Amino acid sequence: MTWINMLSPLQWALLLAIPPAILSLYFLKLKRHESVVPSTMLWKRAIEDLHVNSLWQKLRKNLLLYLQLLFVGLLILACIRPGWSGMNRLGERRIYIIDHSASMQASDSKPSRLDVAREKAMKLIQDAASNDSAMVIATSDRASVEQGFTNNRSLLEKAVERIEPTAQLTDVSEAFRVAAGLANPGRMSFEDNVDIQVAEAIPATVYFLSDGAIGELDESEFGQLKIEYVPIGDADTSNAGILSFAIQRTETQDVQANPGAISAFARMIQHGSQAIECTASLYWNDSLVDAQKVQLQPEQETGIEFELQGVESGTLKLQLDHPDALPLDNVAYAAIRPDRQVSILLVTAGNSALETALGTQRITQIAKVQIEPISYLASQDYQTNASGSKFDLILYDACSPEKMPAASTLFLGGVPPADIQPPARENSPENSPENSPENSPENSPENSPENSPEKKPDTDSGQTTDAPANAVEPDAVPKWTFGELSGPVIVLDVNRSHPISQYLEMSSVGIVEARTVRPPSSGAILMIADTGPVGAVAPRGPYQDAVLGFDIVRPSAEGFEINSDWGIKRSFPVFVLSAVENLAGGITEASAPTVQPGLPVQLLLSNRFEKYQIVDPKGNIETIQRSGDGRFLYTKTEQLGVYEVRAEGLEEPVERFCVNLFSNRESNLKVGLELKTGAESIAATTNTIRARQEIWRWLLLLAIVFLMFEWMVFNRRIFV
Amino acid sequence: MMAKLERMELVSRKIFRGRMKGERRSKRKGQSVEFADFRNYVSGDDLRFIDWNLFARLDRLYLKIFLEEEDLHFYTLVDDSLSMDFGTPTKFMTAKRIAAALGYIGLCRGDRVSVSTFSKASLPLVVRGRSSSHRLIGQLQSAECQSPAPSMEESVRRFCMKNTGKGIVVLITDLMNKTGYETALKMLVAREMDVYLIHIMSPEELEPNLTGDLKLMDAEDFDMREVSISASLLQRYRLTLNAFIDSARSFCNRRSIGYVSVRSDQAIDPLINDYLRSRGLVR
Repeated sequence: MTWINMLSPLQWALLLAIPPAILSLYFLKLKRHESVVPSTMLWKRAIEDLHVNSLWQKLRKNLLLYLQLLFVGLLILACIRPGWSGMNRLGERRIYIIDHSASMQASDSKPSRLDVAREKAMKLIQDAASNDSAMVIATSDRASVEQGFTNNRSLLEKAVERIEPTAQLTDVSEAFRVAAGLANPGRMSFEDNVDIQVAEAIPATVYFLSDGAIGELDESEFGQLKIEYVPIGDADTSNAGILSFAIQRTETQDVQANPGAISAFARMIQHGSQAIECTASLYWNDSLVDAQKVQLQPEQETGIEFELQGVESGTLKLQLDHPDALPLDNVAYAAIRPDRQVSILLVTAGNSALETALGTQRITQIAKVQIEPISYLASQDYQTNASGSKFDLILYDACSPEKMPAASTLFLGGVPPADIQPPARENSPENSPENSPENSPENSPENSPENSPEKKPDTDSGQTTDAPANAVEPDAVPKWTFGELSGPVIVLDVNRSHPISQYLEMSSVGIVEARTVRPPSSGAILMIADTGPVGAVAPRGPYQDAVLGFDIVRPSAEGFEINSDWGIKRSFPVFVLSAVENLAGGITEASAPTVQPGLPVQLLLSNRFEKYQIVDPKGNIETIQRSGDGRFLYTKTEQLGVYEVRAEGLEEPVERFCVNLFSNRESNLKVGLELKTGAESIAATTNTIRARQEIWRWLLLLAIVFLMFEWMVFNRRIFV
Repeated sequence: MMAKLERMELVSRKIFRGRMKGERRSKRKGQSVEFADFRNYVSGDDLRFIDWNLFARLDRLYLKIFLEEEDLHFYTLVDDSLSMDFGTPTKFMTAKRIAAALGYIGLCRGDRVSVSTFSKASLPLVVRGRSSSHRLIGQLQSAECQSPAPSMEESVRRFCMKNTGKGIVVLITDLMNKTGYETALKMLVAREMDVYLIHIMSPEELEPNLTGDLKLMDAEDFDMREVSISASLLQRYRLTLNAFIDSARSFCNRRSIGYVSVRSDQAIDPLINDYLRSRGLVR
């Protein structure tokens, strides 16, 4: 027999006050009916022995009082919920980890997997012994402790009730780390050189309620945790989902004639054993613009493409019209970035080819170009503007600044300053597999003699491009490295996969002298010559730096001398346009960035406005203050949909970004019946959940029967 | 009913002197037809009563003495305290009916009938002859329970002081007197009267129909008693009541007081004809 404390101390005090209250009422007998009799003489004699006003005589043989006390006693007994179970749960510690990721919104278990998980958690809480302490952790891609260790069941149940569904991904390792940390406190206190363990580790049982859409667990994180995996959902639930949805401006010959041509690409998958046919509907600003019939084969990805015309700005929504258990992944969002005029600074001693290329109609549409001499670099105006993010892109033609500005840069022949080096490894969008050097045409560094760090003194720039080994952290990325000028140089190949260099044709370009340029591992090589890479691009925080190892014209004693004929080639303005588009903040990139729910998105905001407002899909507005370098990391991306960044005084948003599920793991609703932890696996423990046998309902029923009996006795008390 | 009453007479277990010629044998010697004794003739005696046959045989003059027949004094003392105003019909109503019936019997027999209540013990109605029956009934009809009523002892004392004659006294009361009834009865017995006690109890007193937690209030002195009615308490009440009745009966028997217990809901006709006749009060 075990007991469960159902009441708070205040409620207990009130309940325990009832029996004395009943006794007091019997003592006082406040309500007596008056009755006139001929004489109280005989009554007086009759009650002389009984002493009706005596305290204990009043209670003697008073069946009504006994029945009332019995009734209250049964009520109190029912409130502490006596019960029993087959397991000895004395002083057990329990941790309830409830998965509330996107896949838990699946409705294969009615009403939803999360509801079922909450219900099972409630049963487990009720199943626990009265002195068991438990905690509740909600997990998605992060863990949150909803309730710390307590044996107050109402608090635990409220914590379970509080867990709301999210559209986030699943990463349970944090939850298990939290659980292990709280269950096995490893803290030590050092006092007078004596180690004192602050809290003793107590084994705990983790009840992990999830659909199993998680990765592999690290067994070493468990510590003294005993894992009980409670699978939620059906094992063979089929579900179709969108894995990616992207848009791109269609490159046509006549851009001006057809400025709103957009290509939309989507990739979707059907998890299940049967092929389905459904309709993929494409909405532009909530208006249906196109639809396609899609055949989805089981466990196979299928791609579709839409061609849209006249779409200049706005949001696109792709919807799979197929009713399945998880509607969350049947919708995907994409946004066309609003046009924005960027600021470009060209610092040059004079370069008519570059100035002409920057003066094309297409560039003047999207950019405002400011041309300054090299002496401008020393001016205070430059210092202010460069550090204040006034410019989106700065072109250094045959020159270089003392320190890198707060803007993207393009160096033509110049060697960037030392602070171009990235401070640490960063996961930027450019660090994608297709942009990595390994995919570049030159993916064999050993072919290049300049690649070996031991040979490299960069004498002309004076900077140390080859830092001592002991000055570099072991996991630091390789730095930019620049070779010496040599020539003539013939460009052998360009990186067709990079948007800056994808349209370049450099085979006919002659270069007198060039130096090799090697980016860090996060960068990409743009063009490679017979001497090695001569053009590369690499991220630097929110900015990108592109460096060409040669210049077009260079100042000389006679004026200018031509170093390359690239300036008169057709590919040069193409390169300049691509550089403006991509380095100046992706101005002409049609697609707004998209992230998965809960992941942060980095915004590069123009320095023209002090404050911006971020409007989420539900219309909630958050005002943010622009930082000095215009970067802002937005983390409240829990909702699926299109977020807009608005600036004061502008009708159109200045930026958009999308939050999409795009997770194959979350779309796969097949419930795993075991958790993999390295070489071993934890089987589902559905059958071990025992219902606690309780008798409080019977006690309550008995109390009501006694109440009815008492009422009957009250009405017939003369016969008692 | 009236005819039956006219054929009845009050029974006196003692012989009293009357005041007037009546139908009751008296202690006096007189002129009835019933021979009592002889005595010597003394001068002045009425010569009509000399037994001449005896003079002829003995040659001495003897006077024949006959028993006298006089009237009987019949007193009815009715308790008119508020405790009598209970029951259906009330005990006081039953008491008045009994008093009227007994008084009518006495009037029919030429007795001297006196009716009084506790509150008017010193102002009795004294009537004689059947023609006075309407006065008797009218007096009783106008009687009401009085508040506050004098105690039984005081009323009987006043009654005794006022009525010096001897006769039958019928005391109709419920004996609900917290100062006791013994002194009062002893005073009546001391007056050498033929005392009858008619003890009236209402059904509500004999079988109280009370439930719950009550505050009982005495109708006479407003005394309050808190009781929680239970079976044991009711049982104890019954025992107390029986003991009270037994003690009254025993007290009366020891002092030759005729004790008659009457329920207030008894019909008057069988009560007089059967019940009181069987108890020897009338015949």
